[in-house]
Amino acid sequence: MIKKVLIANRGEIAVRIIRACREMGIETVAVYSEADKEAVHTQLADEAICIGPASSSESYLSMERIISATIASGADAIHPGFGFLSENSKFASLCEHCHITFIGPDSEVIRKMGNKSRARNTMIEASIPVIPGSTDPIYDARTGAKIAKHIGYPVIIKAALGGGGKGMRVANTPAEFESSFQTAQKEAKMAFGDDTMYIEHFVRHPRHIEFQILADSFGNVVHLGERDCSVQRNHQKIIEESPCTAISPKLRKAMGETAVRAAKAAHYVNAGTIEFLLEKDGRFYFMEMNTRIQVEHPVTEWVTGIDLIKEQIRIASGLPLSHKQKEIPLSGHAIECRINAENPKQNFRPSPGKITGMYLPGGKGIRVDTAIYEGYTVPAYYDSMLAKLIVHADTREEAIKKMRSALGEVVIDGIETNIDYLYEILNHPDYCSGHIDIEFIEKM
Amino acid sequence: MNLKNTFKKSTSVSIKKDFRKLNKEPEVPTGLFKKCNACKAVVFTEDVKEHDYICPKCNHYFRIHAFRRLEMISDAESFEPWDMNLESRNPLNYKGYEEKLSLMKEKTGLDEAVITGKASIGGIKVALGICDSRFIMASMGEVVGEKITRMVERATKEELPVILFSCSGGARMQEGITSLMQMAKTSAALKRHSEAGGFYISVLTNPTTGGVTASFAMLGDIILAEPGALIGFAGPRVIEQTIGQKLPKGFQTSEFLLEHGFIDSIVGRTEMREVLIRILRIHQKKEEKFAPPIEKNLKLSDSIQDTLPKTAHQEEAKPIPSAWERVVKSRMKDRPVSSDYISKIFSDFIELHGDRYFRDDKAVIGGIATFHGIPVTIIAQEKGSTTKENVERNFGMVSPEGYRKTLRLMKQAEKFHRPVICFVDTPGAYCGIEAEERGQGEAIARNIYEMSALQVPVLSMIIGEGGSGGALALATADEVWMLENSIYSILSPEGFASILWKDSKRAQEAAEVMKLTAKDLEQAGIVEKVFPEPNGFSVEKMQPLCDIISHHIENFLQKFSQIPITELLERRYQRFRKM
Repeated sequence: MIKKVLIANRGEIAVRIIRACREMGIETVAVYSEADKEAVHTQLADEAICIGPASSSESYLSMERIISATIASGADAIHPGFGFLSENSKFASLCEHCHITFIGPDSEVIRKMGNKSRARNTMIEASIPVIPGSTDPIYDARTGAKIAKHIGYPVIIKAALGGGGKGMRVANTPAEFESSFQTAQKEAKMAFGDDTMYIEHFVRHPRHIEFQILADSFGNVVHLGERDCSVQRNHQKIIEESPCTAISPKLRKAMGETAVRAAKAAHYVNAGTIEFLLEKDGRFYFMEMNTRIQVEHPVTEWVTGIDLIKEQIRIASGLPLSHKQKEIPLSGHAIECRINAENPKQNFRPSPGKITGMYLPGGKGIRVDTAIYEGYTVPAYYDSMLAKLIVHADTREEAIKKMRSALGEVVIDGIETNIDYLYEILNHPDYCSGHIDIEFIEKM
Repeated sequence: MNLKNTFKKSTSVSIKKDFRKLNKEPEVPTGLFKKCNACKAVVFTEDVKEHDYICPKCNHYFRIHAFRRLEMISDAESFEPWDMNLESRNPLNYKGYEEKLSLMKEKTGLDEAVITGKASIGGIKVALGICDSRFIMASMGEVVGEKITRMVERATKEELPVILFSCSGGARMQEGITSLMQMAKTSAALKRHSEAGGFYISVLTNPTTGGVTASFAMLGDIILAEPGALIGFAGPRVIEQTIGQKLPKGFQTSEFLLEHGFIDSIVGRTEMREVLIRILRIHQKKEEKFAPPIEKNLKLSDSIQDTLPKTAHQEEAKPIPSAWERVVKSRMKDRPVSSDYISKIFSDFIELHGDRYFRDDKAVIGGIATFHGIPVTIIAQEKGSTTKENVERNFGMVSPEGYRKTLRLMKQAEKFHRPVICFVDTPGAYCGIEAEERGQGEAIARNIYEMSALQVPVLSMIIGEGGSGGALALATADEVWMLENSIYSILSPEGFASILWKDSKRAQEAAEVMKLTAKDLEQAGIVEKVFPEPNGFSVEKMQPLCDIISHHIENFLQKFSQIPITELLERRYQRFRKM
């Protein structure tokens, strides 16, 4: 069993990991930058080592310094959290070389899943559905039409050298194909001097659905249900929930089994996430695999009752999974809101600074994961997330009400936050009725 | 709120379980990290290797083994070693020297401090020598000297270019005077190589000092250096102890040498192979003619009118400016400068710096390039485009060291049979105390003297101001061309008015009587061609003009390459003789 963990991260996730370790009787080592001397993670851990100046590249991203700190402190494992070095295969490989347990999958799996085309090929080999597309370059409409028929409409026609929407057209029906192809190809020729085209199935108004999986080193893999992360702004998730209103028990079973197969195909060990695009008609496609713990893991923890960080540490210690698939029922509904130090009125410009006063909600079914406190100065160097507010209730409707109520209690003075913006989303009729897809925020 | 020492620690909040011991204790395997001597940072050895042995934190260059260097520079598996296993005779019978040599051999796997042989770089065969500092600081004993000398001799015989990567502490003390003699031996071999028309690139790496600097390292036709390398004759410690002073930062570095005119260019390790290939291509032996191959059916017109685009004809209607107006135009701030012409007319320009005596003068740019595939030497007075550049380039006013740099490059062009193309744009040679101290007059005279008999075609183009002797030092050519609004004169109109009329304010009046416009000079037979300029001449508008100039350069090279050297020189002589 792991004895002492160095947490190679900061903020609320570092605190979250330290808490899990404390409960398990594992000693903790925090690393911190000069800007994080006063941070909660620095103070809460049993030991804390300063690893450099504020700039991430010289502190939280400095592999040499983190490895040195690990050896110096006598820690036998590193938890990378999310972001920073969490999906860096080189870092994982260094840990392996130094006999340090990296709490996550092994470096080769990170490398493989981190490479888009390798990940896609691995999934195709394992018969996991990926967005169907042409494999060879296409130069004329006739060949294109044949391939489009095979792929399934609607299709999107893309320039091989494309970018910025140029040389890109959607064809909804076979009748539209020829003219769409020719327009796209002409544009491509004009813009890039090349008329090589590709065709892909066009996924209309999809939801971003991800399945949490856990895999141990004995080949056991389970899934912990889904998270709907469709509420995104510029690919940044804002609100996540579980379960997803659009997924029937039958579809959940199918997607869950697919996720487990995908994890097995990747020879995955530890906690991971399989991301899918879900179409309105129930078709779903593998997008990518995240080889780390995720920001939104608390929603899964609440509907399953499983502590994901503790499971990660158990798995990394070589222990088997604590639960079998059938022992993982989903109960109730959980929603997470990310509270950020940013100003929605100024195009979400980050708003670091000193928190002069604050009040956070509590009570039944309310969880706040954070590392801020009154008098804390939010540094400008890192991510702007201040806190995650997670609620749990029997139904989605109740969970939404609880979230509105809890958000209404949050007071953070001294800096700008997105609380009012979150409140607006929670009152939006489409959100309340569950009619969301990845374009929801854009259209809001 | 202050959180310091407020939280209870893990051990007090939970009861420890029995921990099964993990198989292996965490430890850093030997060799995983490396310490950078410059920034003291601990870096991953693997990162250093991936970055061509450059510190990923501070860009400090680690020393590299000869064979690693060979891998980085030459085509894969192209190296054929020469003269392996020569033995030192231990001329001083120095005690323990033989043991030291065999120990070094065993430790490094090398037979001596330099590897020599034949390799190809970008497909071009070269004689290549690389020093390895692990072997007694790559000091030059008789074996090092012998290997280098034999390599140079063989390169001369086989007509191969020589490339030598230096890195050395200097002479090998254990061999005494014999070691000193290697300086003469290697230098003499290089002299013969050069006399036979052979090409030599010297690349200086950290450190290059003592007898190696004072012999083969400094004798390249082209001398390159890696950034930040220590290069000098006497070592910095010796100098400090001798003069009793602390040396300034950056003393004896590659950058210091570049500034002081001793090396042609600083080239990063990552770019080194590519740069060597470009230089080698320009120096590849071809038939000794200068002209680009003419595509069949392509009619070359020698008349500027024929080559003008239609729009230029239409602009003929513009009012004719006065001489003074042309003076003003020739000095306009947004007028294209030499570097603009170089980038628009030539390809693969490689700037070569320094006079090898004193300093690199930024008021003049020199280097090699290709024109329609033909190697040429370019020499250009450069004013710079921004105020900052103007100051840095001294407004195109060339110092003696600038003229000495141009002369060095012209002699190099002559050696390698490259035509010389000059761009003139100067208010005049730099006027100042230092310029006189270093012999401004001598430098200009020497240029004119040598150019008059340079055994390759020389073309000179006045693109802005052609101020006096400072301009003529780059215009003692077979033909001199001018742009419509450039000027060429005995001195500035201000100076003319001041000398003759004791009133520099009468410059406008002076301009009108001096016959300094392109048109006047063409009529007087001082220049051969005048190129019309577009209205509002600027960098954006210069492409059509550059196309026309290119066409005429092609004609020029075509014409002058067919003239035998003696006749070429006679023509050049007569060109000035009749004036």
